Amino acid sequence: MMRYGFVIDLKRCYGCYSCSIVCKAANHTPRGIDFAKCLQGEIGVYPAALRQMLPTLCMQCAEPACKTVCPTGATQQDEDGIVTVDKNLCMGCKYCMMACPYGQRHTVPEWVNYYPEAPAELDPYQAYAKMKWEERNGYGIATKCDFCRDRLKQGKKPACVEACPAKARYIGDLDDPESEISILIRRERGFQLNPEFGTEPSVYYLPAR
Amino acid sequence: MILKAQSKWGWLIAAYLFLAGMGAGAYVAGIVADWAGQGWSTIAQIGVCLGFPSVLIGCGFLILDLGSPKNFWRAAMKPGTSWIARGTLIISIFMILGAIHAGLWLWPFNFLGEASSLRHALGILGAIFACGTMIYTGILLGASRPIAFWSTAMLPLLFTVSALSTGVMAVILIASITGSPKEQMLTLNRTDILLILLEFFVLGLYLQATHRVPESRASARLVLMGSAAPLFWLGVVVIGLLVPLGVEVFSTFAGAESHTGSVLAIIIASICGLFGGLSLRQVVLSGGIHAPLRAGRFEYALTNP
Repeated sequence: MMRYGFVIDLKRCYGCYSCSIVCKAANHTPRGIDFAKCLQGEIGVYPAALRQMLPTLCMQCAEPACKTVCPTGATQQDEDGIVTVDKNLCMGCKYCMMACPYGQRHTVPEWVNYYPEAPAELDPYQAYAKMKWEERNGYGIATKCDFCRDRLKQGKKPACVEACPAKARYIGDLDDPESEISILIRRERGFQLNPEFGTEPSVYYLPAR
Repeated sequence: MILKAQSKWGWLIAAYLFLAGMGAGAYVAGIVADWAGQGWSTIAQIGVCLGFPSVLIGCGFLILDLGSPKNFWRAAMKPGTSWIARGTLIISIFMILGAIHAGLWLWPFNFLGEASSLRHALGILGAIFACGTMIYTGILLGASRPIAFWSTAMLPLLFTVSALSTGVMAVILIASITGSPKEQMLTLNRTDILLILLEFFVLGLYLQATHRVPESRASARLVLMGSAAPLFWLGVVVIGLLVPLGVEVFSTFAGAESHTGSVLAIIIASICGLFGGLSLRQVVLSGGIHAPLRAGRFEYALTNP
């Protein structure tokens, strides 16, 4: 069995937000929605202060809390482990947004112009993005990262993996012990975020130090 | 690191939780009154007849909150795992039983008025699902594990006590307006005094139980002295609990005769208590804070919870 997994190397990430931007371009997400968000963390006080970036995306959990709480059955999990939302089944109750420990479920009521001072009519680029968004997702319903499933089907890597200039992102097969990510997780003590919620995330982080 | 409260569920969901709880509480009060025997039939009918419409209106608020309301009928498709689905089933069964009970007991049908054993049987069944409805409103939030403020066994208890109390207050409100016998009103008042005192106790325990993790401590700060504090102290504590408690204690023990002034005070106190029940749901909702993400020694607040 093939189960998609993801590794993010915190040693390598320097917080350039390329993943966030390329994700927006690849998934045509509306204003306010980031499938690949980069969080900033700080500890200590000067001169002993430290900063560490935490790039996030949907963890495609093996035991997804969002799927457990979804009352309509709109949230589904494919054989390859990727969690998706069927936009025709979702009723927009937002329960998954409460249950997801990683803040990776999103909803937007309508398309909002990226440029508030711009004329009411959208520029052609946004009009295209809006059309693409409505094709795959929609308004009022839950939406999420799906590891760029369409790109994976074409044999390509997710947009954020391809764009990362620090080569901090890897995708591969968690079920194959000899895959690049399995080796990385073993060798560099990869860890999951907040395992206490029992969701078994498929995204692993390699410690920075 | 500043933890932000969730903003996706607001007043509409609070109204849904409140009305579902209040309707179920009023129904239970009606069923208990029905068992109390002679002289209680008016109170019992008020309680039973409040149940179904209140919960129905509450469900209307839930549907208003949906992002894609055309799919609302799918709400019960996955009762195996989802508490919204289970709750939808519980509430639907309660509404059907409540509607049958109310419909067959009122003029012109008054079929259950004569068949009292059938009425009691229906009442017990309805009361079971009414209790399920009250408890469910707490479990619904509790099933969201990353929000420690909600994910506690105290919340279903708190919402159940509040549902019973607001249910009794709704019955008192209608009974005061329509003019019910003084003796029954006195008993209802005493019952509600006990329920309010119990609610104070459970509310205290609920807030005390927030000390375990940083996110629920942040929730308690938000509720006790942060942005939700005005609604908590004024809406929940003063208007929702102290005002009804004071008026009910006064009208019970000060021997206030049932002149217009005291009836008016009871009506106002009941409305205050109902507002307090709504405020309690909103305070709990607006205090919901997700756990921060932890990577090594670093903690990250969710930016768009």
